[in-house]
This record gives sequence, structure tokens and C-alpha cells, in this order.
Amino acid sequence: MKIFLICLALPAFLLPAACLLYILWQAWPALSLELITGTVDAIEGQGLSFGSQQALWHQISGSLLMMLLACSLATPIALSIALFHALWASKRQKKMVLSLLQVLQSIPPIVYGLCGLVLLVHLLQWGISLAAGAVILSVIILPLLSSNIIHALERVPFEQSQAALSLGLSHMEMIVRVWLPSAWSGILTGILLAMARALSETAPILFTATVFSGIAWPESLFSPVTSLQTHIFYLAQEGSNAQATQTAWASAAVLLSLVLCLSLTAWFLRRYEESL
Amino acid sequence: MRLSPLSISVFLGCLIACISTCALVWFLFDSSWPYWRSFGLSQIFSSQWYPYESLYGLLPAIVGSIWAMFIAMGFAVPCALAAAIVSSEMLPCSWQNGLRLSMEILAGIPSVVYGLIGLWVLLPWLQNTFHLLTGHSLLAAGLILSLMILPTIMLMAQDALRLVPREQREAAKHLGLDWNQRLYRILLPQAWPGIRSGILLALGRVLGETMAVMLVVGSLDRLPQPIYNILAPAQTLTSRIGREMGEAAFGSMHFSALMACGLLLAVTAIFLSLFTQRNTPQT
Repeated sequence: MKIFLICLALPAFLLPAACLLYILWQAWPALSLELITGTVDAIEGQGLSFGSQQALWHQISGSLLMMLLACSLATPIALSIALFHALWASKRQKKMVLSLLQVLQSIPPIVYGLCGLVLLVHLLQWGISLAAGAVILSVIILPLLSSNIIHALERVPFEQSQAALSLGLSHMEMIVRVWLPSAWSGILTGILLAMARALSETAPILFTATVFSGIAWPESLFSPVTSLQTHIFYLAQEGSNAQATQTAWASAAVLLSLVLCLSLTAWFLRRYEESL
Repeated sequence: MRLSPLSISVFLGCLIACISTCALVWFLFDSSWPYWRSFGLSQIFSSQWYPYESLYGLLPAIVGSIWAMFIAMGFAVPCALAAAIVSSEMLPCSWQNGLRLSMEILAGIPSVVYGLIGLWVLLPWLQNTFHLLTGHSLLAAGLILSLMILPTIMLMAQDALRLVPREQREAAKHLGLDWNQRLYRILLPQAWPGIRSGILLALGRVLGETMAVMLVVGSLDRLPQPIYNILAPAQTLTSRIGREMGEAAFGSMHFSALMACGLLLAVTAIFLSLFTQRNTPQT
């Protein structure tokens, strides 16, 4: 029985490492500083390889820009939901907020993308734009972010907030003096995880925010961007082109390392918090 | 509640969240309404999807989604459960943390990267093994999805197994139960609610996954012939939305039909999540 279980479990143990190593191995030949900073001439490769030789710098900056915008939109709202949950909600309301957040989290991202397409791109006439992508991403990460912040605030001992209030501190002072010092790592973990999520989400921004190539840096909030996630997708569509294949693996490796940076930092922060 | 800058800003933030949630639901209904009005619910069971001839049957995509779900679950559940049992019952504690880390790394890989792996590793392999034309198939989608949900199920199952009280394990040991009996009679029944909610969570993820499926499933709007033929190209609800959203004109019936697919996905996901919450043990 034990042997059988171990055999069944083997793929689960080996696959993570295998996936990572395979991506690195495929990406290795194409990974270079030139690929990212872009001394490769973009005009040269026209026709089939159009866009596949472009430097990745624009895609990376587009992705990061959209992620940062989404996070800065979502964080205040998530904070206010969490504060409402912690300060004023009754027991019933608390339960309702948590269950609503869970429901929102379970809705597939592409559905958010569809709604954003109707409302932002078409009805509000924003067009395919950075702003539409950022708003959609911020709605997608909102449930995750707020439930993480709620849990971080819940871990502050009840006695501490009681003591603070009975000493005559106002809510604002209590938040700054008592809650922030003990919950900052939890909140930061939540934000980092939400950033990683925003960076890896592809489907909802595919037809609302991004174009394949030709954009170096978005001129305004309402112009389209290029992003790393969708770049990988477009390259994957090109099929037989070897250059495109290689660039796709390289972009996958870059994207993966960005996401892993965020989620590993979150992991270590959580370990640090548990060790306190 | 006194009016202070803090309470006003908290109120504003919550208001924005509520408004955007309501807007989400409203626009989903509103823009899929033309489709439901002119075709009705019967279209769910119609098997023809030809946008250019105004035929919008949803059945092929629904069948594809269900097949992908079953295949993914069939591969992922036994494997993840076995991994959870092995890691929490057999391995030393220091290994467990490493394993959790690697699982979280696996969970953090973006879905489009899984799509690449599926497209350039899995498809050629399937093509050679089963002598297919391209390898695009429901089986490929199911396999990639099972890889994606493996960490979800495994982490939840591991947590559930860890929460089984120590006293119960020791009591079972003192009663002379051997390892298998302890597993089947004590550990699994005790941990089952947690494992079940992990599986339901993964089910929601499978249903809504787009990019990876879109790259490997083949996007052919036909029912598998015969219905259990999982080696043929097919279509799922998500991959259809992803493929055709770019070409559907805003306001057309095609667009409305795609919104109806989205509505169907959202409703299923909401029911699944409510069901999960009702059956999740309160800790």
C-alpha cells in the first residue's frame, strides 16, 4: 500500500522541478541581456517573424505598469473593506462579507474581462487601453487582496485593540499605532500575492488592453500597451517559427522569474511572521 | 458610528466595491439578454455553433468543459491525495516545508506558461503516442488542467490531514490498528471535509481556466464523435470566449451569445462556491 501511494505521488513531487527546469533549459539559448534591453532591430524581421525579434523591455514595462496601476487602485478599496470588517461590521455582516468575497474570487477571470470589455472599452469609449486593463485587473485581485488583509488584521490580538480603545485612542490612532506595527507583514504578504496574481492573469487583458507589438511606451492611460503575458500567447500562435518559439520560452522564463520573485518574497515574509 | 475622515473613506471604498460588483452582474445580464430573448434556454441543448449562419448552440462547449473537468479531476485527485498522504504521514517535517514551497511555486506559474508547456511538450507527445493529426484534444486540455490544480488539492488535503488530532492517531495506534487501517478508518474520514472543499475549489479553477486550455484544446465547435472520444479537438466555454471575443462585433448576436457563455460560467462558479461554503467545516 505504501509503495503504491508513493508511486502515485511521484508525479506530484517531480513535476514542479521538471517544469521549472524544462522552461529554463528551453529559454537558455535565447536569454541574454540584448533580448531584454533591445539592441535587436525590430524592423529587420518582417513577415513571418514580425514582432518575434523585438526586445522584451516594452512588454516587461507594460506588464509591470499595468500591475502597479491595478494594485494601487485595488489596495485602498481592499483596505477599506478590511477596516469595515474589523471595526464596524456585526457578526452577520462579517460572515456575509467573507462569503461574498469568496464568491467573487470563484468567478472566472475571463468573465471579469467580458464585463470590462462591455462597460469600459465599449460603453465608456475607453477603447483598448491601459486604463481598462488596470481596472479589470484591480477588480480581479480585489477579493484576494481584501480577504488577505482581513485575515492579517484578524491576527492582531483582541486584547491589544481593546486596551488601545480603553486608553482613549481614536480608531485612526489605533490603526496606526497598534494594528500596523503588528499586521504590516501580513498586509504586505497579501499585496505581494495580489501583485503576482495580477502579473500572471492573461485572458481578461487579451482583448481589453493589449496589442501584439509596435508600442514602445503607452502615450496615455487610454492607449493600448504590450504585455509579457499576451506576448507569450501571440508568439505561441506563430507555430513553426523557430525564432518565435525561442523568444516565447525566454519571455516565459522572464515572466516566471518576476512572478516567483513576488511570491517567494511573500513566502519568506509569512515564514518570518510565523517565527515571531 | 461617528462621522470622521476614516469612516467616510471606509464608506466610500466599500461603496465603490459594491457598485462595481453590481455593475458586473448587471452588464453580464444586460448584454447577454438579446441572446436569451431570441433563442431561449433551448439553445443550451442545441449542438450547432456557426456564428455566420446565426446558429448558436452551446452544447459542444458545455460537453467539452465537462469532459475537461472529469479528465483533470481523474488525474489530479488520486495523485494529489497520494502526495498529501505521503508528505504528511511518511516524510519528516523538514521535507514537508520544502514540498509546500515547491507546490506553491507550481501554483504560481502563470497559466499561459502552462499553455506553452502543453503546446510544445504535451501535444507532440500525444501526437506520437496516439498517432493523431495534431494532438489538439480534450485529453491534452485535461492533462494540463490536472497539472494546474494539483497544488490546490494537495495543499488543502495536506492541511486537512495535519489537523487530525494527535490523540486520535495515538489512540488508534494503541488499539493496534496497522498503517492501512489507520489511514482508511481514522485519517481519511476525519480529513474528508477539508479534502472535499479543496476538490471543489479546484473544480472552480478548472471551469474558469482559459489560456492553457485555449492553446491546446483545438477550438473545434463540434460534439466529440462518439461522445466519449476525448482524442478529438473540441471546445470549452472559456476557450470559445477567448478565441472569438476579438472578432465578434460589439452589439451583434454573436457578441451576445459569447456573453451568454460568460454568464453560464459565472452562474456555475457562483453555485459551486456557495455549495463549497455550505460544506466547508468551520475552523
